Amino acid sequence: MPAAAHSASEPHESRVAPGTVRRAVVVGGNRIPFARTGGAYAKSSNQDMLTAALDGLIARFGLQEERIGEVAAGAVLKHSRDFNLTREAVLGSALSPETPAYDLQQACATGLETVLGLANKIKLGQIDSAIAGGVDSASDAPIAVSEGLREVLLDLNRAKSLPERLKILARLRPKDLAPDAPNTGEPRTGLSMGEHQALTTAQWKISREAQDEIAFNSHHNLAAAYDRGFFDDLVTPYRGLSRDSNLRPDTSMDKLATLKPVFGKSLGAEATMTAGNSTPLTDGASTVLLGSEEWADARGLPKLAVVVDGEAAAVDFVHGKDGLLMAPVFAVPRLLARNGLTFEDIDFFEIHEAFAGTVLSTLAAWEDEEFGRTRLGLDGALGKIDRAKLNVNGSSLAAGHPFAATGGRIVASLAKMLHDNGPLDGRPARGLISVCAAGGQGVVAILEAYSAPEGR
Amino acid sequence: MTTEQQPLILGELPSLSKLYMNAAATAARRRLMGFQAASALPHGSHEVRGVRADVANLTAYQHLIGETASDVLPAGFIHALAFPVAMSVLNRDDFPLPLLGMIHLKNRVEQLRAVQFSEPLDVRSWAEDMRGHRAGTQLDVIAEVRSSKDGALLWRGVSTYLAKGVFLPGIDKASTAAAPTAFTPPAPTAVWQLGVDTGRLYAAVSGDFNPIHLSMLSAKALGLPRSIAHGMYLASRALADVGSVKSEAFRWDVAFEAPVYLPARVALEIGTVHSASGSWERSDYVAWHPRSGRKHFSGSVAAL
Repeated sequence: MPAAAHSASEPHESRVAPGTVRRAVVVGGNRIPFARTGGAYAKSSNQDMLTAALDGLIARFGLQEERIGEVAAGAVLKHSRDFNLTREAVLGSALSPETPAYDLQQACATGLETVLGLANKIKLGQIDSAIAGGVDSASDAPIAVSEGLREVLLDLNRAKSLPERLKILARLRPKDLAPDAPNTGEPRTGLSMGEHQALTTAQWKISREAQDEIAFNSHHNLAAAYDRGFFDDLVTPYRGLSRDSNLRPDTSMDKLATLKPVFGKSLGAEATMTAGNSTPLTDGASTVLLGSEEWADARGLPKLAVVVDGEAAAVDFVHGKDGLLMAPVFAVPRLLARNGLTFEDIDFFEIHEAFAGTVLSTLAAWEDEEFGRTRLGLDGALGKIDRAKLNVNGSSLAAGHPFAATGGRIVASLAKMLHDNGPLDGRPARGLISVCAAGGQGVVAILEAYSAPEGR
Repeated sequence: MTTEQQPLILGELPSLSKLYMNAAATAARRRLMGFQAASALPHGSHEVRGVRADVANLTAYQHLIGETASDVLPAGFIHALAFPVAMSVLNRDDFPLPLLGMIHLKNRVEQLRAVQFSEPLDVRSWAEDMRGHRAGTQLDVIAEVRSSKDGALLWRGVSTYLAKGVFLPGIDKASTAAAPTAFTPPAPTAVWQLGVDTGRLYAAVSGDFNPIHLSMLSAKALGLPRSIAHGMYLASRALADVGSVKSEAFRWDVAFEAPVYLPARVALEIGTVHSASGSWERSDYVAWHPRSGRKHFSGSVAAL
């Protein structure tokens, strides 16, 4: 029997009266460097990478043998055997085996949604601490057998006699032996994410140069952040990588201009999306440590930022009413309105760069008077954001985008930026996160630099 | 003490397949020409410097054993890394015992700190303490793994082998046979399903292509009815099952009893001992044949 200090019956450290809400703080984060697919993590599984990110977090914050309130993480490309991926990673980590865990999957918004869901549990007093995370491997992707072979195998298992089995086997055709690999195509349209975005990019008349500039800034901002040690307490090396392998610090507008379009080629001269301004397939994992103020204080842990609020949205992309990746355009005004905020109140914008075109289409929609009136139900345009506040330490175009791991990367980095920045104009620094996702979905969130409540 | 001599520095890790071929040739030569075995072990140790783990091989090993593919080398992986150096010692012309057919009786490892896969390592090995056993002659093969950077001892392994039926002049038979201990299987905490390819899969990641593990035919050639699971595969899997509860520095023991003939089901019990303050002290494991109840191996992992 484990000793009483680790007992499952240990009560919460603090009680929250029903109906009241307390604050959920971001203590810190840890991720492994992101690797281009087929690279340093080619043979590492989702469980390997999530455990590596988790163990780095545990080491950084001294959580060995600690029973965490709950751990939630997920993967977009997931083997069916990994149904309990997060719990298995917890069991393989140095956390107490009495730490519960669950898997979550909301396409590329998985990581951010784990943060919001767990933060809500902390706010409600259901748990005192949590670890949110996400992982994805495009290298070690699941490959399924074909529908034909799958049906034959299942029927074979149910068959009782040899003649019955032979009859079932005779149904097999050579084409049934071809495996079924995952792809980034939308099930309802058959178009890949890139092809969908190419339509949106053209619709909002986003120039090639503007997209390349987003990519250029992403690489240079991320490289500069690494160089000044910003990621020293956010990243743990893994498999010989200590920086994201997609990062090209020496890329230039000229180099980016030489790349040929890869998406929307049917648009002819209007095709603008290249391998340089689109995110490559990537492997990696990230984690975020959340807690109540009391939990962090009791352990002498930092309180970087407060998870203020979050909002999900979805668009009707199937027949082209809105672009596949445009849901955050609708989520953000709802979130700002609920919190009584405008773009003026935001100091850092973290808009996930699925494609440079996604970021620019999103900004264009927010700047559009008519779109604001007819689609967002506002008096005019939602507003224009100061580009100097956008993705200031780089984003997915440079770091790469292991789908479910991106939310954790952004939350941990933004929390640190907010903390480093301290108060602005007599109020805590504020950041907005926007993540688009497959299926026409999007999740957005507001974080605020932590400041002690009045009277403390 | 043999280590006081300068070690014989080998340029690179010896090839295990060549060592096994050489061992077979030596055995044949000794049989034909006659061989007057010395009653002493060769003095001196062998050493390879700047050894680095192959990361692809490490990942494959970790997945086979049931470890998460972390950057830390599992203690059993370090054993496999050091094994060619140990084999080269047993392969010397002046080594008195026949290498092929030696039985691994027990193994003891001290892991002094976590070793990252990228660290260059110096691996030294020697044989010592040849002594009697009721069934032949036994000896210890020591392997020490140090950091190439600062010479700090990171890992130390003691493998005890038995040359069955070999009695050398001047070495007394162990006077009393060890009393057979009665074993009543406890309730299992796990059951392993080991396929017939278990030996081959472990050979592929450990580099140890000992024929007794590879196939029924190659095992029969060495007098076994079927191939058997590699002892270090079994012990390493038990170590993986103990899991992340263990401290960074630990001692890992295993004593082998009845071999595991493949394919097999192996029943296992792992019990954990915590100190009064709640910290991990030790995990004990024992494995047995689920039907016959014969003990296959047992051991423990304990905080250092």
